[in-house]
Amino acid sequence: MEKLLEVKDLAVSFQTFFGEVEAVRGVSFHVNKKETVALVGESGCGKSVTASSIMQLLPMPPAFYKSGQILFEGEDIIKKSEKEMQQIRGSQISMIFQDPMTSLNPTMKIGKQIVEGLVKNKKLSPSEAEKKAIDMLNLVSVPQPEKRIKQYPHEFSGGMRQRVMIAIAMVSNPKLLIADEPTTALDVTVQAQILDLMKEIQNQFDTSIILITHDLGVVADMSDRVIVMYAGQLMEEGTVYEIFKNPKHPYTRKLLGSVPRLDMDRSESLHSIEGTPPDLYAPPKGCPFFDRCDEAMVICKEYMPEREYHTDTHYSCCWLNHPMAKSVAEGSVV
Amino acid sequence: MVEPLVSVRNIKKYFDVGEGELKAVDDVSFDIYPKETFGLVGESGCGKSTAARTIIRLYEPTGGQMFFEGVNIYELSRHEMQDMRRNFQMIFQDPYASLNPRMTVEEIVSEPLRVHHIYDNSKERRDRVIQLLELVGLNEEHSLRFPHEFSGGQRQRIGIARALALNPKFIVCDEPISALDVSIQAQVVNLLKRLQDELGLTYLFIAHDLSMVRYISDRVGVMYLGHLAEVASSEELYDNPIHPYTKALLSAIPIPDPEIQRSRRRIILEGDVPSPINPEDNCRFADRCPYAIKICKEIAPELEEIEKDHFVACHRANDM
Repeated sequence: MEKLLEVKDLAVSFQTFFGEVEAVRGVSFHVNKKETVALVGESGCGKSVTASSIMQLLPMPPAFYKSGQILFEGEDIIKKSEKEMQQIRGSQISMIFQDPMTSLNPTMKIGKQIVEGLVKNKKLSPSEAEKKAIDMLNLVSVPQPEKRIKQYPHEFSGGMRQRVMIAIAMVSNPKLLIADEPTTALDVTVQAQILDLMKEIQNQFDTSIILITHDLGVVADMSDRVIVMYAGQLMEEGTVYEIFKNPKHPYTRKLLGSVPRLDMDRSESLHSIEGTPPDLYAPPKGCPFFDRCDEAMVICKEYMPEREYHTDTHYSCCWLNHPMAKSVAEGSVV
Repeated sequence: MVEPLVSVRNIKKYFDVGEGELKAVDDVSFDIYPKETFGLVGESGCGKSTAARTIIRLYEPTGGQMFFEGVNIYELSRHEMQDMRRNFQMIFQDPYASLNPRMTVEEIVSEPLRVHHIYDNSKERRDRVIQLLELVGLNEEHSLRFPHEFSGGQRQRIGIARALALNPKFIVCDEPISALDVSIQAQVVNLLKRLQDELGLTYLFIAHDLSMVRYISDRVGVMYLGHLAEVASSEELYDNPIHPYTKALLSAIPIPDPEIQRSRRRIILEGDVPSPINPEDNCRFADRCPYAIKICKEIAPELEEIEKDHFVACHRANDM
């Protein structure tokens, strides 16, 4: 399989009044062509910062890259100038956001918003632009597109707005679509519609998708591979079946155990994860999950574990999975 | 036969919105029994929060009756209502907006005690506050801090402590966990369950996360556009849904298991929830319902007992 995007040892920090926030701390992963990779984690774990840094959407300052490369089709996009990025954004890599109300311009007609990027880059005539806008609304199944392109965002429902966002993102047929919590603000029945639409579009255009979400049901539905993130670091990565059927990291296991399932007995209690994620002003030097982990050992506090591969596609970062873990565990469990 | 603690009868709440009448809650009736959790689910705008607020008379009802231990609280005077309010409390969705940022935790939790003049001296009041904080998993040291010093989950605990201050019997939980992260959600839900066992509380639990509602509720009501579509015990509702809307809603929840999720057949509803402003007096779901027949577009169905303790408002309930 061909790699479309490769992120190598990415570290992003924010300089704030109180000091440096290390939001992303050495993250490496790749996205193949035509596949959907889910980035899962709780708020503040750095998943949105990772996504925004691929698009170079972070305000710099306060944000800055501490290290790393983001290779998109082999070229490092961190080194690109703002002008070069403008050519990549929208045409090669697109993004859809969580809240379709605040990410559309309330004072601009929908049709114009859809083709805004194209008109700028490709110099379309007004009639071509209108035709393109109608085509795009048809693609995302918005009824009556001829009438809809002349309307404003407030005349659209939440689900329809998210369809418009997808139309905007897909207008120049990007190779990579980053979807940051695309259905979190929507109701379940509308969410099901939007997820289906994203799958259809992916099949039609062979788009790769990075899906950022905290909803494990959506992950199970959409993704080929799953990356679990915690406190700015990757904890585990595998195919969707490996992660859901055979999670190796205690955090992944706890995360899966903390959501109620429809087939679960109601007398079972949920596995809550006690405590809260660490403070990223002063991130722990060892495993960041250390103080919430039931299986933590002395070494976990001191050193961050390396990746331990279970299969070619499945790794976890946990000392428990280290080949020598058994002997370490004896007598030194905290 | 156990008497219901809360009996809601034909409550209505309409809002005047200029373009007409917004019928947020239209003729909703159900019972909640002592020490049970009644879940109310539905999509945004279906009227579940308005129903809850109307039930405890935070909104003045447009019509209907609400019996709390046999007393119709809608007929009480302002003064009588104030005394009655000790019996029911509310936990809000947004733990950031529902705590006054300028008050300390002690002031927040003791406010209901002060309003209702429960203790004469501040020492006793403070002891009660600390007892409440310990009950929800916080401690004395937290009492002098301000809300901004707490995480979302801890703030929700403060909100719960405040709700428990007056020893209420009935608590309305309006999406208490939807603003929290999954790992924290489980903490709060486990806390609510433990408190229910220890204190014998009755909950009205509102949420749009259907798997969480199934987990926490004994019985569940499904709302659609101001009407109650179906009421049943949670196992029954999830195993044997009858109303076409309930079926669609349940099938739309993504299950966190790739094998099950990818193999099941899903009902994808067309379109969006219609506007609740001046709705027609038919089945509110008729336009999106794949089973709708002529009568559905003419008359609104009544909530009927189709099987024992399983109520459905659908003209075709017996064909489903």
